[in-house]
Amino acid sequence: MTPSTPPAPAGRESGAVLTESALLTMTGIVKEFPGVRALDGVDLDVRAGEVHCLLGQNGAGKSTLIRVLTGAHQPDAGTIRINGDEVQLNTPTAAIQRGIAAIYQELDLVPGLSVAENIFLGHEPARFGFSRRHEAAARAREILRGLGHGEIPVRREVGSLPAAGQQVVSMARALSRDARLIVMDEPSAVLDPEEVANLFRVIRGLTAQGVAVVYISHRLEEIREIGDRVTVLKDGATVATGLDARETPTKELIRLMTGRSIEYVFPPRAEILTTAPVVLEVTDLSRPGEFAGISFSVRAGEILGFAGLVGSGRSEVLETVYGARKPATGSVRVDGTALRPGWVQSAVKAGVGLAPEERKSQALLLDEAVYKNITVSSMQRFASGGFLNNHAERAAAVQLAESLDVRPPGVDQPVRNLSGGNQQKVVLARWLLRDCRVLLLDEPTRGVDVGARSEIYALVRKLAASGVAIVLVSSEVEEVLGLADRVVVLREGRAVHTGPAQEIDEHQVLDLVMEGSSV
Amino acid sequence: MSEAPSDTTASTQATVAPPTAQRAGGLLSTGAGRNLGLVLALVVLCIVGVATSGDTFATGPNVLTILRAAATIGVVSIGMTFVITGGGIDLSVGAMVALSSVWATTLATQQLATDYHWIFMVSTALLVGGACGLVNGLLIAYGKIVPFIATLAMLAAARGLAEIISDRRTQIVNNRSFVDLFGGSLIGVPTLVWIFVLVAAAGWVVLNRTTFGRRTFAVGGNTEAARLAGIKVQRHTVALYVLAGLCCGIAAVMLMARTTTGSSTHGQLYELDAIAAVVIGGTLLSGGRGTIVGTVFGVLIFTTLNNVFTLNNLSFSAQSVAKGVIIVIAVLLQQRLARRTTSS
Amino acid sequence: MSRSARTIAIAGLGVLALAACTSNTPEAENNNNAAPQGVSAGKNDEPGKKVKIGFSAPAADHGWMGAITKATQAEAKKYSDVELLVAEGTNDPNQQISQVETFINQKVDAIVLLPFDGPALTAVATKAMEAGITVVNVDREFNSPAAARTTILGDNYGMGVSAGTYVCSQLKDKKDSIVAEIAGIDSLGLTQDRSKGFKDALADCGLKVSNRVAAAFTVESGEKEAANLLQAAPKIDAIWNHDDDQGVGVMAAIKNSNRKEFFVVGGAGSANVMRDIKSGTSLVKATVIYPSTQGADGIRLARLLVQKKALGDLVEVEVPREIQLYAPVVTKDNVDQYLPTAFES
Repeated sequence: MTPSTPPAPAGRESGAVLTESALLTMTGIVKEFPGVRALDGVDLDVRAGEVHCLLGQNGAGKSTLIRVLTGAHQPDAGTIRINGDEVQLNTPTAAIQRGIAAIYQELDLVPGLSVAENIFLGHEPARFGFSRRHEAAARAREILRGLGHGEIPVRREVGSLPAAGQQVVSMARALSRDARLIVMDEPSAVLDPEEVANLFRVIRGLTAQGVAVVYISHRLEEIREIGDRVTVLKDGATVATGLDARETPTKELIRLMTGRSIEYVFPPRAEILTTAPVVLEVTDLSRPGEFAGISFSVRAGEILGFAGLVGSGRSEVLETVYGARKPATGSVRVDGTALRPGWVQSAVKAGVGLAPEERKSQALLLDEAVYKNITVSSMQRFASGGFLNNHAERAAAVQLAESLDVRPPGVDQPVRNLSGGNQQKVVLARWLLRDCRVLLLDEPTRGVDVGARSEIYALVRKLAASGVAIVLVSSEVEEVLGLADRVVVLREGRAVHTGPAQEIDEHQVLDLVMEGSSV
Repeated sequence: MSEAPSDTTASTQATVAPPTAQRAGGLLSTGAGRNLGLVLALVVLCIVGVATSGDTFATGPNVLTILRAAATIGVVSIGMTFVITGGGIDLSVGAMVALSSVWATTLATQQLATDYHWIFMVSTALLVGGACGLVNGLLIAYGKIVPFIATLAMLAAARGLAEIISDRRTQIVNNRSFVDLFGGSLIGVPTLVWIFVLVAAAGWVVLNRTTFGRRTFAVGGNTEAARLAGIKVQRHTVALYVLAGLCCGIAAVMLMARTTTGSSTHGQLYELDAIAAVVIGGTLLSGGRGTIVGTVFGVLIFTTLNNVFTLNNLSFSAQSVAKGVIIVIAVLLQQRLARRTTSS
Repeated sequence: MSRSARTIAIAGLGVLALAACTSNTPEAENNNNAAPQGVSAGKNDEPGKKVKIGFSAPAADHGWMGAITKATQAEAKKYSDVELLVAEGTNDPNQQISQVETFINQKVDAIVLLPFDGPALTAVATKAMEAGITVVNVDREFNSPAAARTTILGDNYGMGVSAGTYVCSQLKDKKDSIVAEIAGIDSLGLTQDRSKGFKDALADCGLKVSNRVAAAFTVESGEKEAANLLQAAPKIDAIWNHDDDQGVGVMAAIKNSNRKEFFVVGGAGSANVMRDIKSGTSLVKATVIYPSTQGADGIRLARLLVQKKALGDLVEVEVPREIQLYAPVVTKDNVDQYLPTAFES
């Protein structure tokens, strides 16, 4: 492990940010969704003029917290105070009026409108309903200059600006509404190093004016460079707050992010015979800009886990194996037969199944009955001459649903009514019904509550035991290590480590994915 | 969800698992409930018809008149139901009807019919409709042109081609046995109505009882999920538009029998009438939910409305206003129901 | 030109019908010329047995068609013994057929039918006739004589002849004159007839149509096609425009082009155009009338047929099979005679 040595930012006065009064105080925020307690007691206090970093693994509740803060979700419990006054942020407009703005990863700009029009979207300077374009342009120019980006032409179409420029426009929009607190969700993810340096300059300019910034990033080195204080979230709750961004050791931060209050029960691993046949063999798979040179093989009964950050290419690898994306180079073989690249039907025919990351948008027909979702990939089996035998179809689905313990029972209800865990069981049942040889699982426990996770884990293990080769992708390192037999660690589209799961621990994996150093 | 599965749902639910109150309510709001609304609307229209001109409205011949008028646009609407359920739209149906009718009544085709059999006219109409649908489908599935634009282009091109072939003249059908068979009656019911009944029944079976229908729901409801589940989405999309084209070919045959002509002016605004009927029937314009029974009711409601207005000597614009109001009410109702199902 | 001969033969009838139209109230007309066996025209107007008439026409999507329907309804109101049922105007033969079927079910005595497409409505009209209903066919002809008891037609061929003859009279000295034609919907038989008449009449004086475009009887189509025509022909001596309703667009296009080297002959005879002719300042020097009172005449004839009355001023006891209306040329000299019955577009 390499202790990070943060570069001391030049010209930064640490004393200048210490306005001790809290601009924003969130206390005991709770937010529940059906089946999931996304936030379970979050505390956060942000001071004027500071950069407050929010750290946490995927699913720790960062996104939900931002949504609560920007008025998109209403908390079920807890209080929000701004400058000491308790406030209700019932709508995004209410949040904006309180001076809270957010800049999302997918920038919410209108590409066809000009820079100035985007900055004043929704509150255009106008008189008698006629927009005053000159005034808007002048004010936009002024704001951009204040951000140190006076060179951005205010009449240019936003869509033609590079990502960094668009981000500046987003910030200018926040400032045009007199935002006093700006939330930035992984702003550096779309930027190259030079642009990141620029971004930091802008952020420092903002804080110098007394604006508070809540900064979210997975890159620890960035947090050390730009951040003042750190709050760590885990499992929807604050585990540490007010940590010094530069002094707190990396090891401590990782411990805070991963140390669990709830221990998941992972089923015991089975003995993988080295004589078991290789079912899935992937050679030199690459897609420019996503991943390169990925090779691995999975034996019957084996679970191979992929660990890596968002953007490391883990889901893309899985979807390419499945044929949903077409590789630039490389081949995928199932039982020795090469699949036609970029052709889902070829994979399905060969016995490959995919439980995709976005279960609702990529796997399920939400308004259709459970049984139809289970049989959708094996309809031919229940059809003669194109006519479906509903009884056989339902009977098969009922049997599977019962053996997987899908709750509430009843295969005729729309899948929409089920919780995340039970929806995932339905997706697994779909591929069980096909007797598939290879199962690709992308984030199998995303949005699945704690109780149902163990069931999914047991189910995956049972599937492997029946001889299926399984590839697992998860942003939760613990899950990959607990469930998989072997682990591949991805960083920026390349495999930086491959080895048995028992020989590596969570800290080492996190270190690998974040810092890229070798074990 | 279509009417059929919910029916079976209601019956099987009782045996498999006791339905919770909430679930039963949800079902009512999705399938049977909406059809109930349509039945109610039709009943109200009929009551108005009987009350205002009962001596004519409630007679057998008038009912047959309504059904005959509904048959042609009804067949087109069945095809449209498939396309919309599958997540698409077809603006070219009227033009395809015109082109099919013109092509099937050219001198050459009619000569074949005279020399051999009228089946040549029928098969020409079906082939032309199917071919137009094939072009639509290929452009949309493989050319990646959005359905609205692709079928808009077909709308213009097919009617233009119809005008070129017919030289913008009305072509008269000379084949007596063709006109007598399709324009006549079978057991007291017009052949046209029989055709409509057959097409609707076949459409219902295909949509609700076959793998093709199931795939249509899957492709329209969640294209990405369907693709990742191994469904040949592109091929299926093509098939849906071919089906719509075939329905237009059938409608062309019916129109040829009814008017004894083929003309490039046939089928004007059928796309709007068909979409309106499909939408008030309860098929979601965004796809994934479709109902043949609803569409049939939609067609019957508009045709009956027409009939009641004609009988009562209420002319012109009032009827269009009524149509517009019905469409808006139906869509509002649909949105509220959709919202209720998603929030539950 | 056998057709012309027939035109002339029927022209007299047309004038009669027109004269009948111009009289404002039935009572105002009191004709004492009693026919030997027939009934006098005056007696024809006396209330007789109740007559229920169904009327169906294409969608009133342009001035002339709107005028047809208005005139028809106004005519029916004049008779206490006529009950008129008007169906929604439609351009869908399927729907128009079902309207006629509805009339049959309602057991009307007569149907006045202006079909969107003559041949397409022939079968159902025949069915109505077989059911004992008197069908009066207006403007667009059926393709079977069994489909209607009487047919009232505008003289489309004659319209073309009248327009062509007028153009000839103006350009007779210049054999190299450029004559342009802006036709209506080409798929309609009536447009084809008009164009043929125009061509034939021009040929008689050695002229021909140099440029021809087809519009769609609407203002915007008239504007578009006229603009195209003016682009295509740098010099024009005369333009015949088939329809005064699309003529509004045609005149707009001419105005935009700032061209004045030609004169325009209109068609159908809208009040607007006649006022222009009267003023003498417009490029429109003449128009050819296509009576918009055909539907109204249809009501009168249907009533006579059902009440078994003869047409006044004819010796014959039965109403004739076919009545073709005359297509006179309106110029500044005679415009006052026609302005009162012209339709407002």
